[in-house]
Amino acid sequence: MHIEIDEIAKEFGATTALRPVSLAIPSGALVALLGPSGSGKTTLLRILGGLEFPSSGRVLFDGQDATGMTVQERRAGFVFQSYALFKHMTVFENIAYGLRARPRASRPPAAEIQRRVSKLLDLIQLPQIARRFPSQLSGGQRQRVALARALAIEPRMLLLDEPFGALDARVRKELRQGLREIHDTTGLTTVFVTHDQDEAMELADLVVVMSMGRIEQIGRPQDIRARPATPFVREFIAA
Amino acid sequence: MSDTQAPARWRAVTEESRPARIALIAVALAGLGVLVLAPLAVVFAEALAKGAGAAIASLGNRDAQSAIRLTLLVAAIAVPLNAVFGIAAAWTITKFDFRGKAFLITLIDLPFSVSPVVAGLALVLLFGTNSLIGGWLVAQGFPIIFALPGIVLASVFVTFPFVARELIPVMIEQGRAEEEAALTLGASGWRVFRTVTLPNIKWALLYGVLLCNARAMGEFGAVAVVSGKIRGVTATMPITIEMMYNEYLSVAAFSLAAVLAALGLLTLALKTVLEWRHADQLAATRRY
Amino acid sequence: MQALRIQKSPMPGFALGMGITLTMLSLIVILPVGALLAQGASYGAEGIWQTVNTPRVWAALYLSFRLAFFAALFNLVFGTLLAWVLARYEFPGRRLVDAMVDLPFALPTAVAGIALTALYAPNGVFGSLAKALGVKIAYTQWGILIALIFVGLPFVTRTVQPVIAEIEREVEEASATLGASRLYTLYRVILPMLMPAALTGFALSLARAVGEYGSVIFIAGNLPLKTEIAPLLIVIKLEEFDYNGAAAIGIAMLLISFTMLLAINLIQIWSRRRIGHV
Repeated sequence: MHIEIDEIAKEFGATTALRPVSLAIPSGALVALLGPSGSGKTTLLRILGGLEFPSSGRVLFDGQDATGMTVQERRAGFVFQSYALFKHMTVFENIAYGLRARPRASRPPAAEIQRRVSKLLDLIQLPQIARRFPSQLSGGQRQRVALARALAIEPRMLLLDEPFGALDARVRKELRQGLREIHDTTGLTTVFVTHDQDEAMELADLVVVMSMGRIEQIGRPQDIRARPATPFVREFIAA
Repeated sequence: MSDTQAPARWRAVTEESRPARIALIAVALAGLGVLVLAPLAVVFAEALAKGAGAAIASLGNRDAQSAIRLTLLVAAIAVPLNAVFGIAAAWTITKFDFRGKAFLITLIDLPFSVSPVVAGLALVLLFGTNSLIGGWLVAQGFPIIFALPGIVLASVFVTFPFVARELIPVMIEQGRAEEEAALTLGASGWRVFRTVTLPNIKWALLYGVLLCNARAMGEFGAVAVVSGKIRGVTATMPITIEMMYNEYLSVAAFSLAAVLAALGLLTLALKTVLEWRHADQLAATRRY
Repeated sequence: MQALRIQKSPMPGFALGMGITLTMLSLIVILPVGALLAQGASYGAEGIWQTVNTPRVWAALYLSFRLAFFAALFNLVFGTLLAWVLARYEFPGRRLVDAMVDLPFALPTAVAGIALTALYAPNGVFGSLAKALGVKIAYTQWGILIALIFVGLPFVTRTVQPVIAEIEREVEEASATLGASRLYTLYRVILPMLMPAALTGFALSLARAVGEYGSVIFIAGNLPLKTEIAPLLIVIKLEEFDYNGAAAIGIAMLLISFTMLLAINLIQIWSRRRIGHV
């Protein structure tokens, strides 16, 4: 799905989180929103997901105005920084949640849910853990379950907030590859937020560097490395 | 989070819709009003049914006066006893490791799950004239049941866990490091307690004492069993309220009740102020 | 006393603290409760059974536990709602309302008893309303239920409120991004998270209501077989100097309470283990 962000601004009371920003994300791209904390990258991601609403500006999905669409209507697969798994449900129930939450008319039958969850568990390469509870999983496993849960609703796009933030370095490398593979298999337009420039450069097709609510530069990793557009970008990627 | 200019459907996703919120608040307020506020209001309304003069005059009645004196006396004995116990128990439990600690805590909590009437019954069975100990004590001219000591024991029983329960979580959170530091600097044990521990727990202690005092003054079931309800001798304020009520002395009963209710409100106010000002020094989760 | 210690500690005051603790505990709790159990033991299981197995005692026990259960159930629902409103919504006077929740703890039971009776008696404010609708509240089981709801009201709210404050917003947001409506989220995600705390509050409310005496006897009417609660029966036996009978009912109450609380504790351990806070 093609996403277009048109002059989006967001204020929280007196503080400005996003000055008007515009950005076009081509269908099927893997995009990194890169910046230090407070740069507005998470706010932008949450606006895409329908968890926050802009003070002004529009969001377009495939050319259609989606600004006022509720979070439920958007069908954006969202992976939270803390994963936000439901602690009282098994891995199976977590992944099946979005399917079971559908109104009766569009809810798949139990056998179909079973089949889809198994397929997703295979996709994240954890076929054995369906009956475990989140507290019984490692950090890396939790992250992958959160990803599978987001994929279960057959999302139109995948949004990830610091997906590797809570993991140690070794697991992080491994899961980066995993995300790349899942992106390539599903072909979903994917946006992830990170403060780690290595992660952004290695993984993304397109990197959006942000600072203080503004977009500093949009470009392919090698272009940003070769030609930083602003002093901020030069300093940030040198760090 | 929610933007006032935005359309209604643009509310934060973790909020209920405005009508739902208003409905829930209305149910909560109506429920509290009917269940809690109305009984409180009716106490004062009934006390003042024949005017403030009649209410005040009824408090000058000899029975009422002796009841007030007795209740104050009981609280003055029971509350300090409980405070000393609470501090000793909390100190022992939080500063030392020993076998059976969990069991000890369970025993301290026990009075919460025993009916006050059963508590009174247990005291009667232990100290009543029919029992071994009680019979001997009566022979020595020191009766417990149907006398002041019994009322004090009953009051201590029903309030037993209040102070300890408030202090233990606070003292666990504070750890032992400060006391250990004071000891290495050569302070004596008593000095450590007075200059290091006590300042750290003073608000929690006051909180526990407040709750303990309110309950001790208002206890009815346990005291009803052990006091024998002797007018002017062992009738505390709650017991006297019952007697007056049963004799259809409505204004007198409700006037005395209003005094206790006012005391309860004062306790509640002080407790709320403590929670607002010193929340960081109180136990995070409360039990009653 | 030193034998109890696991490790030597530089901290002073163990002997003194433990001494005071055990002395008070023995005098106030252990010896009296022991005397109750001893009385029961000397009366014997058969004696206890004969006392309990009479229509009047059965009726009183059944009434006490049944109404306590319904009162605690009401408090479970209303107390959770109240906790939600107080923890999540801003409205004028919220802090005052929050403080008001504790009123039932602050008001002595005898005061609550006569106040509720005055309200719900046929000539009272609410009682006359009910009378117009053809319902009698005071001096019936409805009156007892209202008194038991009153005394147990704050427990659930006070145990659930801090748990609501701790819920991560992200969990609720995750549910919404997966397409769940707000109602579905409340029912499937939030309520299960509140359940262990709500059950604790339920158990406390139940324990309190089962043993409640002061607030009930005024409004109950105290008719044998109809509106006579178990604690009142103990008082009556004591007034007749039937110590064995009183002890028998007391022990029966302790046993039933203990069994119920044990069951609730087991449910709780089970549900906590599932959620993974150990």
